[in-house]
Amino acid sequence: MYTSFVAFWASVISIWAYAVLAAGSQPESGAVDAGVPFEELARHASEDDCWMAIDGVVYDVTDYIPRHPTPLAVMTPWCGEDASEAYRTKGYGRPHSPAADAMLPEYRVGPLLRDD
Amino acid sequence: MASKRTKTRLAFAVLLVLALAPLVWVWWRMGPLPPTEPGPLLRALGRAAGVTGLTWLLVAVALSVRVPGFDPWFGGLLRLWRAHHLLGAGSFLLLLAHPLLVALSAAPDAPEAVLALLTPPWRQWPVWAGWGALLVMMMFLAPTFSFFGDPRYQRWKMLHRLSGAAALLGVVHAVPLVQTLEPAQAAWLWGGYGGLAAVAFGWRTLLSRWLARKPYVVSADEPLAPGVVELTLEGPPLRFRPGQFVYLTPLDPALAAGRGEEHPFSLVSAPHEPALRIAVKDLGDASHALMSVRVGSRATIEGPYGEFLPERHDRPALWIGGGIGITPFVSAARALDRAGGPADVVLIYCANDPSRAYYLSELRDIAGRHPGLRLHAHYFADEGPLSAEFLRARVPDVAQRRVYVCGPLPLLRLAEGLARQCGVAGKDIVREEFDLL
Repeated sequence: MYTSFVAFWASVISIWAYAVLAAGSQPESGAVDAGVPFEELARHASEDDCWMAIDGVVYDVTDYIPRHPTPLAVMTPWCGEDASEAYRTKGYGRPHSPAADAMLPEYRVGPLLRDD
Repeated sequence: MASKRTKTRLAFAVLLVLALAPLVWVWWRMGPLPPTEPGPLLRALGRAAGVTGLTWLLVAVALSVRVPGFDPWFGGLLRLWRAHHLLGAGSFLLLLAHPLLVALSAAPDAPEAVLALLTPPWRQWPVWAGWGALLVMMMFLAPTFSFFGDPRYQRWKMLHRLSGAAALLGVVHAVPLVQTLEPAQAAWLWGGYGGLAAVAFGWRTLLSRWLARKPYVVSADEPLAPGVVELTLEGPPLRFRPGQFVYLTPLDPALAAGRGEEHPFSLVSAPHEPALRIAVKDLGDASHALMSVRVGSRATIEGPYGEFLPERHDRPALWIGGGIGITPFVSAARALDRAGGPADVVLIYCANDPSRAYYLSELRDIAGRHPGLRLHAHYFADEGPLSAEFLRARVPDVAQRRVYVCGPLPLLRLAEGLARQCGVAGKDIVREEFDLL
């Protein structure tokens, strides 16, 4: 029991240390800090080139689509669209898991620019 | 006998179903086959560990309920609490694995998300509730598993009450986060298990004080030997069987320690006697103070509990009692003395020397009056530890007897080994140990 208690904290500390070190050495991805106009978002509207806006931020989820737990047809209609509502109300009308929240920044492109 | 075993099997079968039903339900909702890719597989395992860990935590809380009449279904309070202990330990291991598995499930897709999953922003408060539950579990389980040295009984008991907070935080964590169930299903599942745990916890910490503890008065205290007294308690009649025990809470304001604390004691009186009698050995602060509890002071009794000795003497038996562990057999011998009837019992009274065999003369008198009870004394100081030769010489038909042992742990282990050596089957050896009751 004591061993597993110690092993648990050792693992948590390792994950934390890894994250701190990885953050220091992470090259900036091709983020567009100036913002993504809606027309640009709408151009990436296929399964092979899929951007989505969620809560005002645009993500390039092309690489993630094959790994998403639901069938393709659930996700692809939202390519090139503002998918905030769909993200908040997946199956059974509940939001995505903290896991999804945590993974999203990986795919960030930049803030969505509104027309107005 | 058969019906008793059936009852116990039924109770443990119900327990098994309760412990595994949520896992089966969630697994079935996730799909029949586990995913093969590492990310989804780790996530599925993490969810399974979380669901099962929380289930076991809630069932373990429910099992700590201690209601008179409930524990015999499980073969006595000791076996019930062994189940509680195993479920609690299993739950702790699973709940330690749960956050690590869920966090690492993000590693193949998004390595940076691993830490973010463990320490998300505050708006993900259900995740932090889960952390709260785990930290509280570490606090109240630290003394149970001796993380930081051996526990003190009362502090261990106080800390164990934190289990209620851990269970509550666990439910708060799980209801919004269980991804595989519809929200209403999740609320029903965790509401049901949480409700069961809450009822048990409420009974244990609040209601049992008023409803299960009965008022008694200490009416006599008879010193049996240095450091051992027999207390007589008068109060409402209590239905019990020899071999059962009660929780005594002394309320004498003059006590130096242990006032208002409950401790388990075997009953040494026979069921027909008008008053209850217990034997107290000086083993710690609270029992030391009880040596000088005042006659006329108040106390409460909760019980009876336990499922050690059978109701009827329908099989030849060998009783082995050592030290204060002689107490259940004293009650049984007194009952035999009073009720008469057929019996075939050999009692081996293990003591260090004659001065520590404080019930021997009374037991000898009873054995002289009842042909069904034979008595042998074994003195450690003269003969060393109990041996197979001693058993075979005094009890030649030992292999045909059901063996009941009560005493300190080394004696229990020794006697069990010797009984097996003499040809007694494992299922015919019954041990009673008072370990952290």
